Amino acid sequence: MAEIETFYEVMRRQGITRRSFMKYCSLTAAALGLGPAFVPKIAHAMETKPRTPVIWVHGLECTCCSESFIRSAHPLAKDVVLSMISLDYDDTLMAAAGHAAEAALEDTIEKYKGNYILAVEGNPPLNEDGMFCIIGGKPFVEQLRHAAEHAKAIISWGACASYGCVQAAAPNPTRATPVHKVITDKPIIKVPGCPPIAEVMTGVITYMLTFDRMPDLDRQGRPKMFYSQRIHDKCYRRPHFDAGQFVENWDDEYARKGYCLYKMGCKGPTTYNACSTVRWNEGVSFPIQSGHGCIGCSEDGFWDQGSFYDRLTTIKQFGIEATADQIGFTAAGAVGAGIVAHVAASALKRAQKKSQDAAKKEEV
Amino acid sequence: MTGARLIVGPFNRVEGDLEVHLDVEDGRVRAARVNAPLYRGFERMLLGRPASDALTLTPRICGICSISQSAAAARALAAAGGHTPAPQGAAMAALIHAVENVSDHLFHFNLFFMPDFARPAYADRPWHPRAVERFTSGAGTAQRAAIEARAALLHILGTLAGKWPHTLAIQPGGVTRAPGPRDKVRIMATLTAFRRYLEGTLFGAPLEAFAALETRAALMRWAQGDAGLFLEIAADLDLDALGRGAGRYLSFGAYPLADGYGFAPGIWRAGGLSPLDLGGMVEDVSHAWMLGGAAHPAAGKTLPDDEMRETAYSWCKAPRLGGLGYETGALARQVVAGHPLARDLAGGGVLARVAGRLLDLARTQILMEDLVRALDPGAAFMDPAPEIRDGAGAGLVEAARGALGHWLRVESGRIAAYQIVAPTTWNFSPRDASGAPGPLEAALEGAPVAPGEDTPLSVQHIVRSFDPCMVCTVH
Repeated sequence: MAEIETFYEVMRRQGITRRSFMKYCSLTAAALGLGPAFVPKIAHAMETKPRTPVIWVHGLECTCCSESFIRSAHPLAKDVVLSMISLDYDDTLMAAAGHAAEAALEDTIEKYKGNYILAVEGNPPLNEDGMFCIIGGKPFVEQLRHAAEHAKAIISWGACASYGCVQAAAPNPTRATPVHKVITDKPIIKVPGCPPIAEVMTGVITYMLTFDRMPDLDRQGRPKMFYSQRIHDKCYRRPHFDAGQFVENWDDEYARKGYCLYKMGCKGPTTYNACSTVRWNEGVSFPIQSGHGCIGCSEDGFWDQGSFYDRLTTIKQFGIEATADQIGFTAAGAVGAGIVAHVAASALKRAQKKSQDAAKKEEV
Repeated sequence: MTGARLIVGPFNRVEGDLEVHLDVEDGRVRAARVNAPLYRGFERMLLGRPASDALTLTPRICGICSISQSAAAARALAAAGGHTPAPQGAAMAALIHAVENVSDHLFHFNLFFMPDFARPAYADRPWHPRAVERFTSGAGTAQRAAIEARAALLHILGTLAGKWPHTLAIQPGGVTRAPGPRDKVRIMATLTAFRRYLEGTLFGAPLEAFAALETRAALMRWAQGDAGLFLEIAADLDLDALGRGAGRYLSFGAYPLADGYGFAPGIWRAGGLSPLDLGGMVEDVSHAWMLGGAAHPAAGKTLPDDEMRETAYSWCKAPRLGGLGYETGALARQVVAGHPLARDLAGGGVLARVAGRLLDLARTQILMEDLVRALDPGAAFMDPAPEIRDGAGAGLVEAARGALGHWLRVESGRIAAYQIVAPTTWNFSPRDASGAPGPLEAALEGAPVAPGEDTPLSVQHIVRSFDPCMVCTVH
């Protein structure tokens, strides 16, 4: 295998100063939830390790994942990550075109055999022998299988690659199929969302490049550091949910007060993602903050769960038996009791989760 | 190199997948066939769903112009229900849409179009070192500046739309987010910073000065900023003559407000303007892998031909108006809206399309500032639309790349028919039943092919001058 530069060399070549590099290391440590003690470790790893080559391919998709990725929070982080992974092959952003591009893909696979990460955006359609998505005269599914064969690991970017997303919505006209159902013999990390948050994307990839291993994954194959909590758990409107204060109609008085959007169909209570903590477009906002409920775009099959404006009917609040409707009428008089009951319910949930986790471990 | 056939593709730095088949004769393209090799079937997924699902589903057609799809879906739903959005809601929807259009233009110029001039093939030109420094793919100084300026501009979408790509904020009755006085100040500050970037880097002079240009001759004297570098290159390579259009332009009208459009709708043909009348519009499927005959989109269907019959060559349908193909996009928008420079450029090639985009960018920035100045935080931003039981309507908007239409029919609260015609469907359409080529196919005829070129540079310039969005084309 050819000699590969270190991350640090690549960054310096791209004109990134030592000072910026150190700043990037501390930002990364913070983004990954690691303490300051990890900063020198990250720096050391990047100075000594050869960079990990990344091949980025596109199937049936809308490029929203790339769009999200290239505007992650700190312009520096994005610059560094972009130069670091240098996207040895990327359909949308690369300079070469046509046959030269296809040759670049082959070169990269050959040069870094067994050593590169394959990042997949979109998914392959399997109907009609894959004819609904043709890359370089061949069905995308062939390119995917070919590139996956020698990959060290695969990242499924976004809901498309992870679950099928919109093109797999009923009736799934092209039989769009998520990556893990086509490639079954490689470690796959799912980073769902439509698109995923930029910082989540750079965080995951930085972790893998820095520590040379996959982050901890949950049962569905999602990195725990970003997908272990519900939007609802850290939503800034949560106090209004707990107080039984809800928006009843678009732009009503309650909407202007920033009440909870649960009755407008918000799927935050059943969606695992980091939107309410990391937020979007450089930490500015997220859908709930713009007055629209969450649609649950990082959950499997979110397209086919009824209307996006239907209220979740299974969410319990305060006690075990009351739903939000009842609470809405009674909350004013019973706030004190409610808080106590809520604490109890949360404790109960935690206990349930613990026993479920224990059961899961036994299964494994 | 007589009688050679070339297949150019996959294309990079265009959104989505694209293949172009060229018949080359005596160093020139004799005929071109454009193939959109990607099909996902959105129109079929929409059938039978609740009408409001269109607001969430259709933006996923495209991650670059998702707001255009949002806006078109919201307008189609409003039209089907006979509903009018709250005036300030319409203004905020226009602002959200304009931000996306502007950032698309910026990206196209810096990341998709200009890098071609940094290629080694142009190493003998006097401007080449500057093109390399500014626009080398992934490393050019102009590219970095553009990415940063755009990310900052998109804070407005964070504030107003929650997230980008794929916002949920635009609704038939207006927008879900009521911006307060603080938001107004913050949005204006972001716009001012963006203007500073445009004036300092892209145009190198006040936007008003660029927007005041009236003739091609005056345009070619513009020497400041990256726009000046482009014009120097355009003059040197005679990009005006490369990939000329037929001079027929279509615009659905951009940024509909309570008191009229930001840029008016209409049809430009044979040097004259006529009102937008889509009665004579059909989608021809004679050369598309689609079944069923030519039909108006309100009555159209999307039935893929699983056999992929020999006589067809693309998944893209061929929209025609009164039997003719039309070019759409930033240039068309400005020609139809009546800007003197755009009208002077009408019928031109690569230069006209790219200069039209720069003009549209400058004018839209000014329009956005006006919208924010008129923002009234106390007003209603949503006049909630009642649920639609039965109805039909069209949502016509101007995406960055041109005329985008959604045609919708609702029966018993469910979507009974949904047809989408995207800008690139017009621009990159295949031949129609009469054999007439689509606008790109026609523009490619006569493009020079140097000996030994298998991906001709001239073809790449022409294709990218349209700023194609292939994922929208066939959805």
